[in-house]
Amino acid sequence: MMKCEAVRDNLGAWLDGEVGHPEADQIRGHLEGCPACLAEKKRLDQLQSSLQEVLRLEAATVPFELFWSGVERRIAEKLPWRLQLLDWLRPVFYPGRLAWAIPVVIVSILGLLSLDQILPEWPWVNKNNRTAVESIDAFGFNVAIFREYDTKTTVIWLFENQDDEEQSSAEPIQDDNPTF
Amino acid sequence: MQLSDWELVQKCQKGDVGAFQELVARHYSKVFMVVLGILNQREDALEIAQEAFFRAFRKINGFRGGAAFYTWIYRIAVNLSIDFQRRQKRNPTEFRETVDDVAENQTESESDPYRDLQRSELGKQILAAIDDLTPDHKAVIVLRAVEGLSYREISRILGCSEGTVMSRLHYARKKLQEKLTPFLS
Repeated sequence: MMKCEAVRDNLGAWLDGEVGHPEADQIRGHLEGCPACLAEKKRLDQLQSSLQEVLRLEAATVPFELFWSGVERRIAEKLPWRLQLLDWLRPVFYPGRLAWAIPVVIVSILGLLSLDQILPEWPWVNKNNRTAVESIDAFGFNVAIFREYDTKTTVIWLFENQDDEEQSSAEPIQDDNPTF
Repeated sequence: MQLSDWELVQKCQKGDVGAFQELVARHYSKVFMVVLGILNQREDALEIAQEAFFRAFRKINGFRGGAAFYTWIYRIAVNLSIDFQRRQKRNPTEFRETVDDVAENQTESESDPYRDLQRSELGKQILAAIDDLTPDHKAVIVLRAVEGLSYREISRILGCSEGTVMSRLHYARKKLQEKLTPFLS
């Protein structure tokens, strides 16, 4: 038999249908025999329905024409060139499309730093070798070892692929399975 | 036959503003409710809700149907509302008309269900009690009340875990109950 305190802690989640079966049955059973917890449930119900009603009635006072006119005015206004440029560039910078770019930039930088090893015969490559990239690996993590010979400094750099889609504000959630 | 939200979005992406108007017609009321619940200021809520749809329009080409349109627009609206409220907290001098002020300014001869409910103590007290919550707590309780969204959907809108949604809801309800006990039967 659940105690009142435990029931009340989970009452909101239970009303929301977010409590699993065995526990939900225990709460239901408890409510049948506990007038105090039943009163608590009724108060929560009342709270939820009153809030919904207040907001619903307030929303009913806003006609669609009024609402749409505000949206339409914004659409019709000419955006500053910076925002227009941002809108134009935005598809390029979606995290999913950007994922490939980060490793390419890193490899390019490391490649430039290692030019004297890759192309030792090129005349314009610095012969006074002070830095070198020792290895790049990709077993789950990408690993770069950056060694500076003069000071005998070694930097080991572990970095993950940027596959996870960042969900910044006002961006769509990108799932594999459309829910429409 | 009525088009689905996704079909309307696809039409918008081809430049059909009429399709976007249809999307707004379908969802503006609930988006406005959510924003109003967070801001408790009618004029601000109207502005923010309209701005949310405008932002959605601007970014519609990036919407690829990974989530329902309504969760996307709620996400935009909630983020704008929370940002707005935080900015307002930093600059609180600007006067705004709250829902309570609107109700009190009505003449006695006017009578409609909303005003009647507003005049009722419970309606006023609920809005006042919610106004004392943090924006994050307001968002969860309003999203749950307005749309009956699941914790999973709310967590996706707010970008937090389901456990966080549950604990925020629990805390918010507890606070509301403490303040509203005399008004709840």
